[in-house]
Amino acid sequence: MDLLSHILLGAQVLFTPINLFFCFIGVLMGTLVGVLPGLGPTAAIALLLPNTFHVPPVTAIIMLSGIYYGAMYGGSTTSILVNIPGEAASVITCLDGYQMAQKGRAGVALGVAAFGSFIAGTISVIGLMLVAPPLAKFALAFGPPEYFSLMLMGIVILIYLASGSILKALVMAVFGLLLGTIGMDSISGTQRLTFGLLELSDGIGLIPAIMGLFGVAEVISNVEKEIKREVIAAKIKNLLPNLQDWKDSFWPMIRGGILGFFIGILPGPAPVISAFSSYAIEKRLSKHPEKFGTGMIQGVAGPESANNAATGGAFIPLFTLGIPANSVIAILLGAFMIHGIQPGPMLISKYPELFWGTIMSMYLGNAMLLVLNLPLIGIWVKVLKVPYPILFPLILLFCLVGVFSLNYSKVEVALMIGFGVFGYLARKFQYEMAPLVLALVIGPMMENSLRLSLVISQGSPMIFLEKPIAAVFIFVSLALLISPFIPWIGRRRKTLQEKVEGEEI
Amino acid sequence: MMERTQSQYDRFSAIFFLIIGGFFALYARSVEIGTWNEPGPGFLPFWAGLTIAIMSIALLLKNIRGKGPVRPSFFPESDSWKRVLTTFLALILYNFIFDFLGFAWTTFFFVGFLVKFIFPQSWARTLVVAASAAIIARLLFINFLETQLPKGFLGF
Repeated sequence: MDLLSHILLGAQVLFTPINLFFCFIGVLMGTLVGVLPGLGPTAAIALLLPNTFHVPPVTAIIMLSGIYYGAMYGGSTTSILVNIPGEAASVITCLDGYQMAQKGRAGVALGVAAFGSFIAGTISVIGLMLVAPPLAKFALAFGPPEYFSLMLMGIVILIYLASGSILKALVMAVFGLLLGTIGMDSISGTQRLTFGLLELSDGIGLIPAIMGLFGVAEVISNVEKEIKREVIAAKIKNLLPNLQDWKDSFWPMIRGGILGFFIGILPGPAPVISAFSSYAIEKRLSKHPEKFGTGMIQGVAGPESANNAATGGAFIPLFTLGIPANSVIAILLGAFMIHGIQPGPMLISKYPELFWGTIMSMYLGNAMLLVLNLPLIGIWVKVLKVPYPILFPLILLFCLVGVFSLNYSKVEVALMIGFGVFGYLARKFQYEMAPLVLALVIGPMMENSLRLSLVISQGSPMIFLEKPIAAVFIFVSLALLISPFIPWIGRRRKTLQEKVEGEEI
Repeated sequence: MMERTQSQYDRFSAIFFLIIGGFFALYARSVEIGTWNEPGPGFLPFWAGLTIAIMSIALLLKNIRGKGPVRPSFFPESDSWKRVLTTFLALILYNFIFDFLGFAWTTFFFVGFLVKFIFPQSWARTLVVAASAAIIARLLFINFLETQLPKGFLGF
C-alpha cells in the first residue's frame, strides 16, 4: 500500500502541464543528442542545466534525466542506419542492426530497439522503486569513514574499467582530486589556488570542466579530418515487428533489462558494459551463434534493452547515497546542489515528491520516447543528414553560451576552453576522462569525509579498517587494484577494457 | 609526419604530471598541511600532489627504455593541426570580443568563419548558416530564454 501511495504521489507531481512539458523536452533533446555524433548526454545535460534554474527542482531533474535515457534511444538510430553509433553504448548495435538495415529490415531493427528500450526502461524503473528506498535506509548508518571508503571504491572501479593503463587512470583520478581542492576550503575557509578570482572560490565549476572535456575536446578531435557518413536512403517502413520477431526478441529484451539494471547500479560506464554483456549472453544462448553479426534480431533487442535499463540503475547510487556513478549522474548531482537539495540517504524521505516524481517521469518518458522514435523516425534521419561542417560550429556555440549563461562569467568560458585543450591532448596521450571527472566531482566530499574521519579517530587511518562497512569497501578497492597483476583476472580485465573503450562516462 | 611510440607519449605526460604534483605539494605548504590528528587545508593537496608525483616517476621509469607500440601520427592529416588550432583560436577570440561586439554579431562571424574555413563551404551556404544561427540564437537565448547575453555597442 505504501508503494501504491508513493506511486500516486509521483503521478500527482508528474501530471502537471509544466512537468509533462519538461519531460517531453528532456526526452526530445536526449533523442537529438543521441542521434547527433559529437555531442553526448554529458555535454547536453551540462548545456541545458542553466536553463533549469528558474523552474522547480523536480521539473529540472525530470528534464535532465530525460536527456540521459533519451540519448540511449537516439544512439541506436545512428547505429542501425549509418553504422556509426551516436553513443558508445550503441556500438554493439551496429553489428546486427546495420546488417538488418542492409537487408531491408531497418524498420524492424529500429522498432525492436525502441520496444526493447521501453520494456527494459520499465523493468529498471520498477527495480529503482523497489531497491532505492531500502538501500537509502541502510545508508543512514554511514558516517564519514564509510562515505570516504565508498567514494574511494567508486573511483577505483572506474579506474579498474579504464581502457588502458591502470597507472594512467590513477594519475587522472588523483589529478581530479587535486583540481577538486582548488577553491575555498569548506572547513577552515582558506582560499586555495584561486588567484584572487571570485569564480574559483567555489571551486572549479563542474559545467565548464565537463563542457570542455567532453563537448569542446570531442568537437576538436572531429575537426581533424572530415567524417563522411552514408545514411541508408531507402524509405523506412514496417516498424512494427511481426510475431516471429517478437518471439525472437522478447526474452533477450527481458534478460537485457534485468542485466542492465544490475550493472547500472555499479559505478562506471554501465550502459556500454551491459550492452556488450547482453550481446555476449544472447550469442551464447542462441542456437545459431555463428549468425550473430549478420543481422540477428536478438543482437539488437538484448543490448538496446540493456543499455536503457542501465541508465535507470545508475540513479540508485545518486538517490540513495548521493554519490554519482558516472559523469552524467555527476552533473545531475550538481543540479541537485544548485537547486539546494543535498542528495544522500535522506533524499527520499525528505523530498518524496522529487524522488517519486522523477521515477514516474521515467516511466512516462519511456512511453514518450516510443512515440518520438517510431513515427518520427523520418525526422531523425533528416537530422542525421545535416553535414558535420555545419553542425560543429553550432555545437561549439551552444557550449559557449551554455557556460557563459551559468554565471555570466568569461573566466568560466576561458576555463572551458582550457579544459577543452587538456581533454583533446589527454585523448591523444591515451588518458581517460572518466576518473578525472568523477574525482573532480566527489573530490571535495571525499576530502571532507577523510578529514572528519581523521579528526574522529585522532589521526589514526585504522578507522577505515575498524568500521566493518568501510573495511569491506577498502578491501574491494584494494582487491581491484591488485587484481590486474593476477594473470587470469588481468586477461578478463583486458576483455572488459576493450568493451568500454571510447565510452563517455 | 613523424611517428612516435606510446612510450614517448607516456614520457611527455609523466613529466607534465610530475610538475603538477610537485607544484601542488609545494603549494600545500603555504596553506598549512596540518597533522594527521588535525588535517589542514593543505593536507589533501600535499598528499595527493606527492602521490601523483610518485606515480609520474613510476610511469617515467616504466617507459624510460621501452619503446611500446608505434602510434599513428599525432595529426591524422597534414593540415589537421591548422583546423585544430584555428578552431581553438576562434573560441578564444569569441570569448574576448563578444561583450564588445554583441552576442548576435559575434555569433554570426564565429559560425561563418568556422563554416567557411574549417571544412570550406560555398559563400552562399556560409552566409545562410551564419545568419540563421545568429538570428535563431538571438531569439532563442535573449528573447525566449531571457539569458543575459551582451548586446555590444551596436545594441544587439
